Amino acid sequence: MSIGSVNLEQCLKCNLCTLVCPMMEVNPDYPGPKKAGPDGERYRLKDPAFFDYALKYCLNCKRCEVACPSDVHIGDMIQSARIKYGSQAKKKGLRSLRDWTLASTDLVGSISSPVAPIVNGVLALRPVKAVMDGVLAVDRHRTFPKYSRQKFVSWFRRQDQSAFDRFVTYFHGCYVNYNYPDLGKDFVRLMNAAGYGVHLLEKEKCCGVALMSNGFADKARRQGAVNLASMRKAVSAGEQVLTTSSTCTFTMRDEYPDVLGLDNSAVRDSLMLATKWLYTKLSSGEIHLKFRKDFRMKVAYHTACHMQKMGWQIYSIALLQMIPGLELTVLDQNCCGIAGTFGFKKENYGYSQAIGAKLFADVEASGADVVATDCETCKWQIEMSTGKTVLNPVEILAEAVEF
Amino acid sequence: MKFDVVVIGGGWAGRTVADRLAGAGLRVCVVSEGLSLAAVHDESPYSCLAGLQKKGVTVLRGDRALQGRADADKVTGLVTRNLGPDTMLEAGAFVLATGKFFSRGLLSDMNHIWEPVFGADVAYDADRTKWADPEFSSHQPFMDFGVRTDEAGHVLVSGRPVMNLYAAGEILAAGSKEFDTDSFIEEYEHRIG
Repeated sequence: MSIGSVNLEQCLKCNLCTLVCPMMEVNPDYPGPKKAGPDGERYRLKDPAFFDYALKYCLNCKRCEVACPSDVHIGDMIQSARIKYGSQAKKKGLRSLRDWTLASTDLVGSISSPVAPIVNGVLALRPVKAVMDGVLAVDRHRTFPKYSRQKFVSWFRRQDQSAFDRFVTYFHGCYVNYNYPDLGKDFVRLMNAAGYGVHLLEKEKCCGVALMSNGFADKARRQGAVNLASMRKAVSAGEQVLTTSSTCTFTMRDEYPDVLGLDNSAVRDSLMLATKWLYTKLSSGEIHLKFRKDFRMKVAYHTACHMQKMGWQIYSIALLQMIPGLELTVLDQNCCGIAGTFGFKKENYGYSQAIGAKLFADVEASGADVVATDCETCKWQIEMSTGKTVLNPVEILAEAVEF
Repeated sequence: MKFDVVVIGGGWAGRTVADRLAGAGLRVCVVSEGLSLAAVHDESPYSCLAGLQKKGVTVLRGDRALQGRADADKVTGLVTRNLGPDTMLEAGAFVLATGKFFSRGLLSDMNHIWEPVFGADVAYDADRTKWADPEFSSHQPFMDFGVRTDEAGHVLVSGRPVMNLYAAGEILAAGSKEFDTDSFIEEYEHRIG
């Protein structure tokens, strides 16, 4: 028997999820995935008053689901409960403003980009950090990702892609568009070198991951519907939709149907990370890339939690291994602790750094020059906490390829 | 993705087989849906398979083997939930180590028992009233049910041995032959000279 899509009855109470939960290890207030997920759900189905506000501590890293031998959708259950019961919780004034600001990546990015040097300068000032810490409860230790003066889409509009007869569609995401267009530029260069032109989606909105985790599920659902409508058009035109962010990809492939109830079945198989696409095409001999002979780099690969959930790190790892002159260490899979906007909040900073400590130590011990990972928020966290440069595998590949 | 051996299941049996094959220098992939209860004995449960990873084993954690593809008498590939049909796992040999009922290596309804990945032949009593002994503590017949092999350890599908498919651990029927890691390694070393 299954109660709708909730498969809590599959839980055998083995507690393997509890053993792998990064939050459980550092925070005794968090009940853990078994209690917060299938155990709690049993009660919440009887009476919503059983909803426990400590569920806000769930990072939605999905390590519990990867560990579960019975395929219980533990993380989905917790996310759904937070959306269903938790949004009634009235957050106090300025904290709700903070959450809204952190979640509105699209809007804040659009406002900040034209005045990027000012925003970047101001956000780095100590007095400003102190005020944000004191008033908005954004932790003062955090370094904000810098805004780029030119948006990725503005750059892309001036790129002529008409010479190609085969195309892929690129979902660039907020981070590439507002903060880090260089990654998007590298992606376009690589695709062009592989003989593919690049299209953008007719309309692209933020995937909605930050909205969902900050209690704005309805807005996430509306944005998801816009993304899916554009993706359906691209897919029915015979194009695959590629991405460079593991979390955006995971959100649109799995959280859309499982948590937001959006039907993505027409596009799900065509939506993938660029590294999966590149690996598949390169290994079948369908595309070729020529590598530089003088390339040297010592890289440690960090598997982001959502990457692990999708099981796609093997593509990024295999691609990096193809690069001559690249020495690769694969780090043990550990959560970096930032979990998107979670780690930016003052009340979470301590947990965030305590969770990441194992990974930071592994990074230091690896002796690598550069850390590679497919997730931008892991990048901020590892750069801030270890001082190492963190690159997306696509950037490393673009640097190693002879154009 | 190509390997020498793909092991399906990351429990006691799968891990032991993978560890020994990797130790002999073979390229091994383990598909492990969830952690096995074996994990609770490890120092760090989530990285229980990380030791294998350090030996160069590719571990697909949280992935599920969906379907084996086969031609005449050989498995040619394995489709998993996360990798999809575009990047099927290919290997010289496949070892089924998915356990019995608890880990869903074997599935059942009221009258049938089957192995879901390769459709291997399962030895069980056609009379379902004989599956269990009402005397709880006595030897339970269903614990002898499992995948059938020939004398060389090849798993049988529709009565015929599949020449590169083996089984290890709990999934085997009583009297079937366990994957012989030592002679497999010996044969492998002989082949590559």
